[in-house]
Amino acid sequence: MSIFTPTNQIRLTNVAVVRMKKGGKRFEIACYKNKVMSWRSGAEKDLDEVLQTNTVFINVSKGQVAKKEDLSKAFGTEDLTEICKQILAKGELQVSDKERQTQLEQMFRDIATIVAEKCVNPETKRPYTVSLIERAMKDIHYSVKANKSTKQQALEVIRQLKETMQIQRAHMRLRFILPAKEGKRLKEKLKPLLKVVESEDFDEQLEMVCLIDPGCFREIDELIRCETKGKGTLEVLSLKDVEEGDEKLE
Amino acid sequence: MGHTSLDKIIALQNKPANIRNLCILAHVDHGKTTLADCLVASNGIISSRLAGKLRYLDSREDEQIRGITMKSSAISLHYSVGGEDYLINLIDSPGHVDFSSEVSTAVRLCDGAIVIVDAVEGVCPQTQAVLRQAWLENIRPVLVINKIDRLIGELKLTSQEAYTHLQKILEQVNAVTGSLFTSKVLEERAEKDSEVREAGGGDNGEQVYDWSAGLEESDDSDLYFSPDQGNVVFASAIDGWGFSIHQFAHMYSQKMGIRSEVLLKTLWGDFYLNAKAKKIMKGAQSKGKKPLFVQLVLDNIWSLYDAVVLKRDKEKVEKVMSSLGVKVAARDSRHSDPRVLLSAICSQWLPVSQAVLTMVCNRLPSPLDMAAERVEKLMCVGARRFDCLPEKTQELKRAFLECKSDTSAPVVVFVSKMFAVDSKALPQNKQRPLTQEEMAQRRELARQRHAEKLAASQAADAPAQPLSQGRSATDSDHPGPDVLPDHGEAMTLKANKVDEEEGKEHFIAFARVYSGVVRKGQKVFVLGPKYDPAEGLKKLPEGCSTADDLCTVPHMACCSLGSLYLLMGRELEELEEVPAGNVLGIGGMEDWILKSATISTSPACPPFTPLNFEATPIVRVAIEPKHPSEMPKLVRGMKLLNQADPCAEVLIQETGEHVLVTAGEVHLQRCLDDLRERFAKIEISASKPIIPFRETIVRPPKVDMVNEELGKQQKVAVIRQVKEEQSKYPETVQVDSTGLVTLTTANRMATIGVRAIPLPEEVTQLLEANSDLIRTMELFNLSMKEGKTLEINQKTLESIQDLKRKLESYMQGRKWRSAVNRIWSFGPRRYGPNILVNNLEGYRRPSVWQCLEKERSRAETYREFDNSIVSGFQLATLSGPMCEEPLMGVCFSLEKWDMKLPRQPSEGDRVSPDDPARLDRSGDGVYGQTSDQEAQGGSESESVVPTGSSEGKRRNNSSLVDCYGPFSGQLIAAMKEACRYAFQAKPQRLMAAMYTCEIMATAEVLGRVYGVLSKREGRVLQEEMKEGTEVFIIKAVLPVAESFGFADEIRKRTSGLASPQLIFSHWEVISSDPFWVPTTEEEYLHFGEKADSINQALKYMNGVRRRKGLYVEEKIVEHAEKQRTLGKNK
Repeated sequence: MSIFTPTNQIRLTNVAVVRMKKGGKRFEIACYKNKVMSWRSGAEKDLDEVLQTNTVFINVSKGQVAKKEDLSKAFGTEDLTEICKQILAKGELQVSDKERQTQLEQMFRDIATIVAEKCVNPETKRPYTVSLIERAMKDIHYSVKANKSTKQQALEVIRQLKETMQIQRAHMRLRFILPAKEGKRLKEKLKPLLKVVESEDFDEQLEMVCLIDPGCFREIDELIRCETKGKGTLEVLSLKDVEEGDEKLE
Repeated sequence: MGHTSLDKIIALQNKPANIRNLCILAHVDHGKTTLADCLVASNGIISSRLAGKLRYLDSREDEQIRGITMKSSAISLHYSVGGEDYLINLIDSPGHVDFSSEVSTAVRLCDGAIVIVDAVEGVCPQTQAVLRQAWLENIRPVLVINKIDRLIGELKLTSQEAYTHLQKILEQVNAVTGSLFTSKVLEERAEKDSEVREAGGGDNGEQVYDWSAGLEESDDSDLYFSPDQGNVVFASAIDGWGFSIHQFAHMYSQKMGIRSEVLLKTLWGDFYLNAKAKKIMKGAQSKGKKPLFVQLVLDNIWSLYDAVVLKRDKEKVEKVMSSLGVKVAARDSRHSDPRVLLSAICSQWLPVSQAVLTMVCNRLPSPLDMAAERVEKLMCVGARRFDCLPEKTQELKRAFLECKSDTSAPVVVFVSKMFAVDSKALPQNKQRPLTQEEMAQRRELARQRHAEKLAASQAADAPAQPLSQGRSATDSDHPGPDVLPDHGEAMTLKANKVDEEEGKEHFIAFARVYSGVVRKGQKVFVLGPKYDPAEGLKKLPEGCSTADDLCTVPHMACCSLGSLYLLMGRELEELEEVPAGNVLGIGGMEDWILKSATISTSPACPPFTPLNFEATPIVRVAIEPKHPSEMPKLVRGMKLLNQADPCAEVLIQETGEHVLVTAGEVHLQRCLDDLRERFAKIEISASKPIIPFRETIVRPPKVDMVNEELGKQQKVAVIRQVKEEQSKYPETVQVDSTGLVTLTTANRMATIGVRAIPLPEEVTQLLEANSDLIRTMELFNLSMKEGKTLEINQKTLESIQDLKRKLESYMQGRKWRSAVNRIWSFGPRRYGPNILVNNLEGYRRPSVWQCLEKERSRAETYREFDNSIVSGFQLATLSGPMCEEPLMGVCFSLEKWDMKLPRQPSEGDRVSPDDPARLDRSGDGVYGQTSDQEAQGGSESESVVPTGSSEGKRRNNSSLVDCYGPFSGQLIAAMKEACRYAFQAKPQRLMAAMYTCEIMATAEVLGRVYGVLSKREGRVLQEEMKEGTEVFIIKAVLPVAESFGFADEIRKRTSGLASPQLIFSHWEVISSDPFWVPTTEEEYLHFGEKADSINQALKYMNGVRRRKGLYVEEKIVEHAEKQRTLGKNK
């Protein structure tokens, strides 16, 4: 090992190192920055645009190249390109700032889109636009968590947005038909779960059309199924109760 | 002339013969507001020194900053000529094309118009437009050729050249009027022709075509502008001078002893003065002599300019001044800017206001002389003829023509626009000096308050030290300083109240009385544009008045008028009553009138023809509040804006966007400013509106991108592609080469086979057009399912029958055999332009056409989970795989649907190992029981289903539970996925919304119009010349996605000579494949391996995906080597 003096020290710049442990040895490859994620998602198809060199290292920063016998022992092949591809696909890497930023941005938009799809303005029964939701999310300083699913986070965002603006989940319109016997009893149980009862018809059997919060659907479904022993029926009339068509303001 | 008092104006209002309602029209920057300033100054409202600089009628801040007028505003002026007093209701209008709607509102209320033309620029696009507008409204124009000083100062023309220049301008203007006249005559002729043809179709063969076109017969001499007719004024409003030939004729007839009639005829034209013979001779041009106009008129002005501005010759100026008999204040003559001196001289010598107003009073009609033709035109809505109107209505015409202000005459008022004013500007809220009593009252109040306060403080201080007591006693001795702050408090209280009131916008209706007298608080009918007097007369009893509350007639409301105002530019004066023939403002109508309306006391009055707008709103933007919580404020503000602006449109779209549609970019800017500062008072942001797309599939193309036949060479590539795609699909999905997708649900109990087929274009269009019908059908089917019946009337049934027949005729061929009968559902939302077809063997379900069938055949029943399949299909069509936009024109055919139901008795033993989740649960007591029940239910349903009881099906539907959630839900998901994969197995295309675009353009800018269109992917459909004019009408289609900024660009590129109109027309498939990569050898050759040329469809698709936060197949950095190199420790 030579002495590290400014003249003989070679610094690696713009190198993203992908590491993988296999067969008890650690292997590394040298890649370009911001390219590995594109390769994994399939957007980048040219391997030469990803790899700085197709040699496999033990340690990239020290420039130690992996031995052939180690490689063949670990990967069962001596084809370096093939090994590089394996490491690229499965190895671990430090995600670069740009990659992380685009990923978070994309998730942020995705969350906003989900929220906009699921929610309405309770006053007008009309959805909000995605850009408005995005701005509202920025206003409440929502930070995206990369390891949680966007759907989960969207539900969280809806809860938080309710405090600052007029927003609610679009209601589901349901119809259930309950046999007369259980009707009365069940109605009391269902009452707290329903938002709006649009129509109620009680002869022979109880027929109700009502709006519910989509979050309660499972609960209602379960309740009706268990309590009526399969005699009551539940039908989803519309998944989202929103105003349709354009409206002229006058 | 001093300030005219309100009383005088009120007195004048009662003499309709002496009223002139007129507006000033011109191209932008030709000096409308400057001229208006001069006229206003003549009444002493503003100083004549400031005239032209103040722009008194531009009361908005942005108008003053930008220097263009944005709204029409009215002012009443007094003028006396020849011993007669005249009342002049002057309306200044904007010249910018974006505000041409404001011009329409102004023109409607007037009887005459002053058309201004810039002496340098000549006839401009808006000049033509306003002349056309004046023509269409049948009002008489007079001409002012303005800015003649520019001919001297800027162009440095000699008086001779200026004369020919002026002649040319006059010819241009007359050419426009002429072409308007010709087109009208030709139109009338065409109408007559068609009538004749209808009347006598038999003798067509013998008809000799008459080429004379009827132009010769109709007289048009009085239409044209000519100085000797007295309808032209030459002026320079900025320098404050203007003249008509009359003035000079009058002047010289005294000086030279020539009769003024002779001079009048010869002063303009090819005449010259033969000095020796003292005679006026013809043919100045051929003899090379100075025309009379140059010699007697222009030369004088030129020499004045020469002396005052160019040479600044003091002595000569003195001489000129003394010869003109003009005296100028010493202050003006010493001023360093010669213009000041000039305007001081000119405004005394040839005051522009005098010239213009005299011409107006002499040449423009009073409300009494309204042409009968114009009345008829106003009263006939649409294509209806005047004679078809009810008799009572026809009688109203007389009232119109008489313009009587009797109390007996019916009141007819037309409101052309609503405008908002601050409550501060209303005369009720104006600050005025306090009366004696009020002062006394206030003093008393303050004293009382002070006493109270004293008492309170004493009570509080009582237990405190005696020292403070002493102080308070001394305080009470000097009430002065204490009273003052108290008083101030009262004042601030008041101010607060005023502030609250200020928050409210008041709307004032800009209107004109055509007949009768309007009074404050009068009860009237407000007639909407669709009101039909015949209907109204029928419904209302004979001789009823507005006092009775009869408001059952459609498009008619009854209300009482609020305060009446005299419009004085920025100010309003309150009036008690306004007689016929006047322009006025009416307050308190905002709840009754949206933008324009007709007000009358007689139900026989027809609504006036709607205003014809030159520009239709086409610039669309989406508006959002900066803070989402301010949404209600925005909506309220937009409603107010809609009312205040005649041309703006606001709407909420299905996507929740608030869209503002305006006539142009400048108009848009004004609307946004208004929203921000007046109506909504919140921060807003405007952005490009969201552009919708549709996804569809097409038949595999026969040729490749370079128009080569797709031969064998591609097959290699295709196979490679298929192989690649195969690996993309998850294990549960299989795709065969014909595009049939087979998919198994997560619990492996059901398998679905779906194929996607493109629908013929006609079918898609048919489905789009009949969505309402399909919705009715769907409602019927739903109720049938529950065993109820829904009555559908015969007419609807017939149209459904018709729809079915048409579908059958469009869907022919082997592929579509009996497809129409097997339609399962429409989607998305059960009425969209996509079809699910039942191609299962052995499943006959009730068809969607069951409302057409008299009897229900017993053999047709719904299978279990029929609903889930439909829901899955609906979800799949609602958002496609390309960019989650709805599908269009896709047919999904379900070809396989196998279900391994676990609870069939014969297979009962196999159930448990198949479904471990169930096994676990059956250990639980309660669940065991229910599962038993379910098993019974299941077996029951198996036996019941063929007999057609839907009860059994339903029970089963909700009773299945396993670890993947309800089975129905899984089936929905499976169906949705299958549809998506089936869609992806076919060549996918994006569909773009298209506008049809009608462009009116003159011949010289045609090329540029085509340039803009092709740059924005537009396609010209046809182009034709309008008869009798030189205007071309171009019809084109343009993708909505490319329309943002289109109107602005086309106006800029053609200098305003082309005006487009955009209307949504249809959806069109974008021919390029968004997923296209070069595959054949030729394509490789042509495009290279990466195909770097822009792919329109891909661009749109990625745009939508990026907006929605979906994954976009794009590299973060394009070239790995071209990144910025960062040092390691930095």
